[in-house]
Amino acid sequence: MVAITDYNVAEKSQWCPGCGNFAIVGALKGALADLQIPQHQAVIVSGIGCSSKLPHYVNTYGFESLHGRGLPAASGIKLANNRLTVIDVGGDGDGYGIGSGHFLHIMRRNYDLTYIVHDNQIYGLTTGQASPTSQLGMKTKTTPYGVVETPFNPLSTAINGGATFVARAFAGDMAHMKEMFKQAIAHRGFALVDVFQPCVTFNKLNTYDFFTKRVYKLETEGHDTTDRMKAIEKAYEQVKTNYERLPIGVFFKEERATYEDTLPQIKEKALVDQPLSGLDISAVYPDME
Amino acid sequence: MDFVFKIAGQAGAGVMITGRMMVKCFTRGGYNVIGYPEYPSLVRGGHNTVQVRISDKQIHSPRHDCDLVIALNKDAIFYHMESMAEGGMIIYDQLIDPSRFKLRPDVRMHALPLSKLTLDVGGTEQMKNTAALGAALAAVDYPFGMLETLIREELARKGEEIIKVNISAAKAGYDFVKSGGISFGKQIKPASDVRKTIVTGNEAIALGAVRGGMKFYAAYPMTPASSILHYLIEKERQFSIIAKQTEDEIAAMNYAIGASFAGARSMVGTSGGGFALMTEALGLAAMSETPIVVALVQRNGPSTGLPTWTEQGDLRMALHASQGDFPRVILAPGDVQEAFFLSAKAHNLAEKYQIPVLILSDKFLSETVFSTERFDQSRVKIERGKLVKGPLPALAPMTRWKRYAITDDGVSERALPGTPNGMHVGTSYEHDETGFSSESFIMRAKQVDKRAAKMKKLLKEMEAPDVFGATEGAEVTLVTWGSMKLPALDALALLETKGIRTRLVSFTHIYPLNPRAVKKALRNSGITVMVENNPTAQFAGLLKEYANVKLDFHMLKYDGRQFFAEQITEEVVKLKEAGFKGQQRIEVIEKEDMEYYNPQRHGL
Repeated sequence: MVAITDYNVAEKSQWCPGCGNFAIVGALKGALADLQIPQHQAVIVSGIGCSSKLPHYVNTYGFESLHGRGLPAASGIKLANNRLTVIDVGGDGDGYGIGSGHFLHIMRRNYDLTYIVHDNQIYGLTTGQASPTSQLGMKTKTTPYGVVETPFNPLSTAINGGATFVARAFAGDMAHMKEMFKQAIAHRGFALVDVFQPCVTFNKLNTYDFFTKRVYKLETEGHDTTDRMKAIEKAYEQVKTNYERLPIGVFFKEERATYEDTLPQIKEKALVDQPLSGLDISAVYPDME
Repeated sequence: MDFVFKIAGQAGAGVMITGRMMVKCFTRGGYNVIGYPEYPSLVRGGHNTVQVRISDKQIHSPRHDCDLVIALNKDAIFYHMESMAEGGMIIYDQLIDPSRFKLRPDVRMHALPLSKLTLDVGGTEQMKNTAALGAALAAVDYPFGMLETLIREELARKGEEIIKVNISAAKAGYDFVKSGGISFGKQIKPASDVRKTIVTGNEAIALGAVRGGMKFYAAYPMTPASSILHYLIEKERQFSIIAKQTEDEIAAMNYAIGASFAGARSMVGTSGGGFALMTEALGLAAMSETPIVVALVQRNGPSTGLPTWTEQGDLRMALHASQGDFPRVILAPGDVQEAFFLSAKAHNLAEKYQIPVLILSDKFLSETVFSTERFDQSRVKIERGKLVKGPLPALAPMTRWKRYAITDDGVSERALPGTPNGMHVGTSYEHDETGFSSESFIMRAKQVDKRAAKMKKLLKEMEAPDVFGATEGAEVTLVTWGSMKLPALDALALLETKGIRTRLVSFTHIYPLNPRAVKKALRNSGITVMVENNPTAQFAGLLKEYANVKLDFHMLKYDGRQFFAEQITEEVVKLKEAGFKGQQRIEVIEKEDMEYYNPQRHGL
């Protein structure tokens, strides 16, 4: 029996008071406990950024990689040991900016991974530059006249790109967020949960108040999660309504073979559980002689 | 007996396949064989060649000049007519008009109706190379049965029809030469039943890694490293490994580091440009103390450079890649046997010391095919170092396991995810003993020292250079690292005939360098000549820096080709004639102004 407190660590989280990350850690621990995932069977991977410090605050295995490289590191971990629960966390700059190339290709592969993006629409750790999801017109240190680049749409990209579970949560609604994480972790395949996470220090536009007034739950409107076109339409709602209506919940879900399913060599045993020594290479000689 | 064929034609004409067939054919006849390819960075339109050198004696490298050229197009005559050995022969396709070329009078020319021969037996234009292969064997009176058996085996999967027509095409070429009385004047008969294996440097690296316990390989296609990826993907189910083509080299390296963190021995393969992209993650492996092996197959830089040619120009890059100071190992195999065993060893070193290990090869070693003995795989032992097996004792609540515990030898115990009570964070940040980020001045210094402490034991794992030739009373000592051992070994024999007693000191364990071993190997060495395939004598610089050894001469080549034994010999003879006086720097550049990339430039 795993208790939620088992995931606690002694170290205090070093985020700004009121940061959305606190709620994300709490919801993630809750989801892991509800799913009864033993501490040693989970690996939380991250890139670099405020949100990427998260692995230090959950008592499981963790791997804090490089800026933008959480997803490839998580993919390697999963391929080497497909029995582990592998969760990658990171920010919008990390995943949709510097790591965007990996994001696109890893969705196509549909590894059984969960990817949680702390989407605060700003660069926090580097103290307030525009990010790929910064709202049009927002003034930041690097956009003194306002953002002019069309914001990256993670949800429509994921629905188009091959992710088999696409959801959004809001850090101000912890119970709902925990439910999203649970479904994402339980889903077999690549699951994205993009979280509206207010940055209380650098983003004065997209605040708790901003989101609380605008978010609504998809399930209350009877959204069909198997309908890809409807899901894309919902993903564009924030654009269409100029951020007036922001749906959260599961946008899209489908069952598709994972990449690991296509590898007969790990069907019986994970790579790490297979013997290393004594492999006879002489079977190759007939082709070489 | 020492004979050199060269098959040459347009890219796409089957030159590479024909070359490999020929290498197999003579290897089966008990000969030592080397198949050396040259080609430009083009898929169609450029000029491709494979040189096949065969001998009943031990040979190590391609020869500069060829005896028999099989020219599948007119360019082939132009490109190779100057580098024919005395009394050589060119067999060419009848469709070519050679009258425009000024040929040496000693070179014999024979036209072959290759198209007609293949079409008459029901073949296609694409099979001209097979007919030409038959013709080449006939010219030296090699038994046709050897080729027939080989075609049967190689094309077994393509069905009886294809096999038959290919054998007929080969036979037509063979019979045309025989009945036309075309003969090189040298008979090559199968020499023995000893069956050797043919293997490229890249195949040896791949097989050594697999035998060395590698379970995960990731790469992005890049010449001349791609054939490692192809080979491992082809064999991944057979060997029960995963070989993954990723979206770029950054991903490849981070996948491999992730897989290694989870416990699978992991490797990436690339060339200089790809390694540049992996550089940041090399530091991640170092900081998180995650074992990783990098096969860096060099070509000519900077930047895209010469993608399909060879150089040893990335040594300094390998040595200094990534920010900060951290221990690493650089190994550079000098032949295919060393490639196999060092590749296996790299995985042991990486895991025992939890560090990055780089294997430096180059296009020359990696893509040339050599006949060799089967690898004595029983010599490979797996050593996993301080890897935790089974569950660890329970931790106090809210604490984590000390993955980065400070130890005397710098190596801490490593628990893999899935191990109960081993929870910790692997991280790119400086950290405390549990992996928690730390900016403590004391802890920072301790962790730097801990990582650096690994070098002490590591130094003992570094083997002294191999010494060949005149162990006593050498007048000249050639010094090489990595693949330049091969032409240097052949130069030893040539220099012997010139009356110059020569020794070769060949380095395979490049970094860290053991100064004592270096000095010992270079004792009483006469005049020392570094033979290095780059413009700045990078390894000679390392010898100076780490062993305080200064070599007398630096013989350097950076024109795209490796050294040929003849060139090393010629330069050493010149040095001797000059009383071993003169500039320290000796540049060797091919005399012919040739390029395969753009035949139009030569009016072709």
